[in-house]
Formats: sequence, C-alpha cells, structure tokens
Amino acid sequence: MGKYLIKRIIHGIISVLIVVFLVMLLVYTLMDRQLIFKADPNYSHLSGTNRTVYMYRQWEAYGYLDYVPYTDYLDELVAEGSLDAETRASAARLGNTAEDDSAITAEYVAKYTEYYEDHGYTITRLDAVRQGSTRTASQLFAYRDINVFVRLWNYITSLIQIDNIHYAEGIADEERGITFTWFDPAYGGEKFSPAIIGNGTRHKYLLYFDNEFPFVHQNIITLSLGSSYSVNRNIDVWNTMTDEQGNIVSAPITYPTGYEANNADDLHSAVYSEGSLEAGGEYTAQRFTDDYTVLTTNLDGMSRMGYSFVIGIISVLLAYAVGIPLGIVMARRKDGAIDKIGTVYIIFIMAVPSLAYIFMFQTIGGAIGLPTTFSLTNPTTLMWILPIISLALPSIANLMKWMRRYMIDQRNSDYVKFARAGGLSEGEISRRHIMKNAAIPLVHNIPASVLGALTGAIITESVYVVPGVGNLLTNAIAAYDNSVIIGVTLFYAVLSVLAIILGDILMALMDPRISFSSKGR
Amino acid sequence: MNENVMDLSEFELSEEELFAPYDISQYETEKITAPRYSYWKSVARVFFRNKLNIIMLCLLAFIVIFAYLYPLITQYEYVYNTDPESHHLNPAEAFAHFGAALKWIFGAGAGGESTFDAVWYGASISISLAFVCALINLTIGVIIGAIWGFSKKVDIVMNEVYNILGNIPYVLFISVMVLIMSASFWTMVFALTVTGWLAIAYFIRTQVIIIRDREYNLASRCLGTSIFRIAQRNILPFMTSVIVTLAATEIPSYISYEVFLSYIGMGLSDMSLGRLIEEAQGSMLTPGWQWEFWAPVAIASIITIVLYVVGQNLGDASDPRTHM
Repeated sequence: MGKYLIKRIIHGIISVLIVVFLVMLLVYTLMDRQLIFKADPNYSHLSGTNRTVYMYRQWEAYGYLDYVPYTDYLDELVAEGSLDAETRASAARLGNTAEDDSAITAEYVAKYTEYYEDHGYTITRLDAVRQGSTRTASQLFAYRDINVFVRLWNYITSLIQIDNIHYAEGIADEERGITFTWFDPAYGGEKFSPAIIGNGTRHKYLLYFDNEFPFVHQNIITLSLGSSYSVNRNIDVWNTMTDEQGNIVSAPITYPTGYEANNADDLHSAVYSEGSLEAGGEYTAQRFTDDYTVLTTNLDGMSRMGYSFVIGIISVLLAYAVGIPLGIVMARRKDGAIDKIGTVYIIFIMAVPSLAYIFMFQTIGGAIGLPTTFSLTNPTTLMWILPIISLALPSIANLMKWMRRYMIDQRNSDYVKFARAGGLSEGEISRRHIMKNAAIPLVHNIPASVLGALTGAIITESVYVVPGVGNLLTNAIAAYDNSVIIGVTLFYAVLSVLAIILGDILMALMDPRISFSSKGR
Repeated sequence: MNENVMDLSEFELSEEELFAPYDISQYETEKITAPRYSYWKSVARVFFRNKLNIIMLCLLAFIVIFAYLYPLITQYEYVYNTDPESHHLNPAEAFAHFGAALKWIFGAGAGGESTFDAVWYGASISISLAFVCALINLTIGVIIGAIWGFSKKVDIVMNEVYNILGNIPYVLFISVMVLIMSASFWTMVFALTVTGWLAIAYFIRTQVIIIRDREYNLASRCLGTSIFRIAQRNILPFMTSVIVTLAATEIPSYISYEVFLSYIGMGLSDMSLGRLIEEAQGSMLTPGWQWEFWAPVAIASIITIVLYVVGQNLGDASDPRTHM
C-alpha cells in the first residue's frame, strides 16, 4: 500500500502542476494584460509616460515581464566601476526626443540598446509629453516577456519559503542567530512560555505559544501563493485567506523597550523591515529596539478560511446526521409517505437553480426573524444559522438520494435474501449487512466534503455576505487579479487531489475487499 | 366423437399422397412465437401510464411553445419608460397604471418595462442555451465516453486528462472564455461545452465498463461478433435509459448554471433568465418590488422542475426492465 500511495501522491503533484500551468496559460497569455489596471486607482491618476512606466513596473512586479529602465543599467555600470557618478548623472539626462540627447547620453543609450537587444529585450523610448500644465519626462526602458514555463518554475520554487538567519540584510553577521527562551519576551519576560526567536530571519518569532487555536504557532515555513494585485493589494493569497478579520482587540502589551501600552499590535507577528526603526521616528523609538517593527493587528473575527470552514463543517455534519437516517427510512418504507415527501424534496433541490432556493431560504428565515446577513462588527450566534442551513439542505437531499438508492439496490441482492431466509430480523439485516455495504460509496465522499468546506461556497457566502473564501475566486476574476486566481486554483487543486486520495484510503480501510497492493483486473 | 372423423376417401387421393412427409424448412424452426415487442411503443405505454407524466408533458410543451411564440408576438425589446410613475410596479399598480392586460400580470420592472414579457423572452434564451449545450455535450460525451470505456489504451490517456481538467475550477474556465470573447450566446455555449462533455463522457465510460465485461458480452465476443456490433446491439440499448436520465439532469442544470453565472456577473449579454434575476436582485428586499425578482425565479424553477420530472420519468420508462 505504501508504494501505491507514493505513486498516487506523485501522480497528484504532477496533475496539480499541469493544472497550474494550464491556468497560467489561460490567464497570462489569453487575457489582455491591460485589464489588470481596470480596478487600480493609481493607474487612473497617472498620465502620459508616467502611466506607461507604471504599467511596465506593475507588469514586472506581477511576473509578466522583465523590465529594465535605462537608469538601472547606468546604476549597474556604476556598481561595476566602469562608470563614475558624475558621468552617470549626465548620461542619465534624456532629451525630450532622441535627437535632443547630448553626446554622452547618446553614447550610453546606444550601448544600452545594443546590450539589451542582444539579450532579446525590446527597447522602448517614449518622448516627453506636454499636456496643458503637466509635463511627463521622456522614458527609455527595455522589457522582455517572461515565458510561461519560466513563470511556472519561479512560482513553484518560491511557493514554500523557509525562514533563515541570512534573510535580513541590515544586520551584522555576528548578531545573526536563533535563541531559545523559556520566558517569551512578548508577555513581559516573566510568564512561562517557550519561544524561539530569530535575529536575521524575516520573522522575529519562529515558534511561540499563545491562547489561540492551535496554541502553538510557527513562522519558520511560510506559504507564498502569489501576492494580490487588486483584491487585497500586495497581500499574499495565503494570508488573504488566513488572516483574521473583524473588530480591533486592544490589550495591555509590553513592547521590546519595556514600554507598556494598551494596543492591538500582535508582537508575535513582527517582521523585519530594513531601516524601519529610524524611519519610524519617535513612535518606533519608544517601542522597538530593532528593525522588527512590522506588526499585524489583533482582530476578534476569524479568517476567511475560518468562517468558510466552520460553516462548511457544521453543515457537512448536519447533512450526514440528517441525510443518512432519512435515506435509510425512505428505502425501508419504499413508496410510503416519507419516501414520497423525500422524493419531492430531492426533485426540488436537484431541479431548482441553487440561487433560487437559497434566496427562498433567506426570505423564509428573514420572515421568522433570523438575521439574513452576516456581520463582522456585530457578531451574533443567530447569524450562523441561515448560511449553515442553506448549505446543509442541498447536501441532505444529495445524501438522501444516494443512501436510498444504495439501500434499495442492496436489499434485492442475494446475500440479503439469504440472510432473510436464514431468519434474521429486518433490523438486523439493515444494520449489520446492508448498512456496511451501502456506506462504502458514501465514505468515499467524506474527505471531499470536509476539505471542500475549506474552499467555501460561492452563492451562499455572497447571499449572506459571509466574509469567506468562497467568493475570493469570483472577486479575483472580476477584478482581473491574476495572481489570486492562480493561488486559489492551486489551493483548490491540491485539496481536490488530496480528497480523492484520502477517500480511496478511507474506502480501503472500511472495505477489506478493496486492496491497493495488487490490481484487481 | 365419431362425427369429427373425416372420410378420407372423399378426397380421392391415394394413400401415399395423403400421408406424404411435410417438408419443414430450416428457417421455420428458428421462428419463436412471442408477442410483438416494439421498444419505443413500450416506452410510450409505460410513460403515459402515469397521469402525472401526461400533465407534466403538456405543461412542458406549453412552456416551450409559449416561451418561443410569445416574444415573437409581442416583439420584445427592452424599452426604458421615461415616466417615473411606471417604474417598479406590482401587478395591481401596473393594472391601474397601464390597464389590465396579460402583459402586466407580473408588474413592471425597474425601467417600467413589462416583467412578463421580459421573463418569457429570457426563458426562450435560457431554454435555447440549455438545449444547445445539452445536445452538444451529450453527443460528444456519449461518443467519447463509449470509446473511452471500450479501449484500454484510450482509458489510460483520458483518465489523466479527466484528472487534470477536472481540477480547473469551472467558473474560472467560463469566465476567462467570456472575457476573451465577449458574453454572447455562442460564447456561452462554447464555454459551457468546451470541457462540459468531460464529466458526461466519464459517466458513460463507467457505465460502458460495467456492461462491457458482462457474461453475455463475453459470449458474444467469443462467438466472433465485431466490437462495433456489440456496441450497437448489446450495449446501446442498455445505455438508452442511462442517456435519457442523464439528459434529464443535464438540461435543467444548464439553466441553473446560467443563472449562477449571471449572479456572479459572468453571464450572458442577452436578456436571459439569469440576467433578469441578477438585475432584479436589489429589488428583492424592497417592499413592493419583489415581483420583478420572484417572477423570473419562479418561472426558472418551474421550467427546470418540469424538465427534470419529465426527463427522469422518461428515463425510467426507457429502461426495458419496466416494460413488463
């Protein structure tokens, strides 16, 4: 079985990679790249050559192309030592048009053009534009489109990031290192709470304990699924899904300097930012002793994934708890009243557009006084009821349908007739014989339902305004946020591959007839 | 007893002529006497035995004919009524404002247009979309599924294709298509069919594999029947009810899917049921405006339920085991 599993997992990884590749091909090459600026306020404020340069800068930042402005090239020459700062300054001065360039500029522009054209770049020169009172300078840059294979490689290699002590640049080498303490300084250094603290790493706290589930947290390995462009600007997709939301929670905290204040800063989230201690002025000087000053805020709500998962998992449990017994009753009393009502209900759920019945549930729920929208600022227990019910009712119908079907199929099989002839009671036959066999195909779907709860539900979440992951993909598509699309697709693909593998394992555990070690046929 | 005995002498034939052995042809012995069985007649008999089916079929015929004829008669075209008094009317107000007519029984929409007209125009587009998509997907799906189930080499390749394409979110695929090509009717058909057949083909493949290795097919193959003939004579009859049942779930699902896509803002540019629902969403919570939201929702639900019930029962009726 071990060998078979490894094969399955490798297979799964390959198919996930191909999925990501296909989606990259779809969104990066087929979609007009100009579209990503549609929801960008910075873009609409710029004009002339500034706007063009901004476009290329963003395209570079989001992995479309490799962009090298002329000044970067000159800076590189200075760094190499083949150009002095004075010549650089005069060479960098571009004329309004190519004809206006001074001799020295023209010389370096020619070198630049030759060098980058040799490397397959396209050189673009924009002349200065004067529009009314505003004037935008002329620009010279080279760009080269990034091949989709290179992009996939870059994406995969930067997916999992392991924090190391050589990350931070502005720290002296002898100060780098990892220290272990029994008394976490974030709690004032007196409370017993083990922590691993790094210096030179990206995160200050690599491992720590706190009172939030799962109580022990790590920052050593972080996932990076690509940073968002417009949905949640510059924030990684993974963080968009897992960061807390809601109201700010302030608590008395002790900053590294010993300064005490009532604040919502989460000291455990400290991230390195070079030179931030000086740049922050008096405020940071009062609180921090080093450049680990970028903190997140403590919020009282759950993350997007948290909300989706809680709603999803409760509705899955509810669906199994209600759907399976109902399906069994329907099968045992075939053509009875319960069977008929159940069938009408199943037809209703199967046929009516899901949007229509979710709105129906919302209206009915609203009529009996349940809150019809989810609120982050005023959370109540009642607001959970309608989304959970809306998600559970269709799954109940589905489980009822299949359970009834499997039970009826099994009831007519020879082994059941034999058991009946042997004098077993109907209850015994149902419980000990039919149930075991009918449950096998349903067990196969359990991992898929549980993991599916993580991906959220698009309609339910948008109808009830749940801040979950369900509408992340649709929002990203609507805003042309390509990196979010790719990140979310990767996440979905991994979950679905995992769900199938887990489902097969679970089925093999339930049913001794299924074996993975040898091929059946 | 005796009067039954014939006097053979009246035939004036010799003994030999009277008792000559009758020549029985080989062909005649092969004939089996059984009641005449026509498959489709039996399907119709079983289907119409249930009174509910007759009602549902009439309702379906009425809906489809009405959805196509009514917009033709009224020449539906979206018009914005500049008179603000005519916007967002419930049926009673619409009757008061425009006078009592069939046109106003669902009230008036945001632009003072007739909701009834819009709903039926939308219904014709949605029904067309559903039928076109189902036709394309089922045709491709059944053909490829049959090959996929039969050939073990194709099976290996197609399983990989299925595992990979199945993981691409369907919404993403359709949205990219819609973005690249504009949201016209045929773009939507293309987007819904370009990978839509895959799930159907997979389903058919599983069914084919189940039947393929049954004893009677093994026997047939041992006797030298060609694969094509096995497929045509032994397997296709088995698949008819499966395909009809599949069509019964597929056709309404495209209407639902179109509604869903419109709701998330990736729907058709034509006035379909989905777009009507999406545009009237805001009116749902405003007292007095609910008609323009619930009317398309109700019509969409009725159409899908009727299609589903008729299709499911037709599927049951086309299963030969119910023909007893």
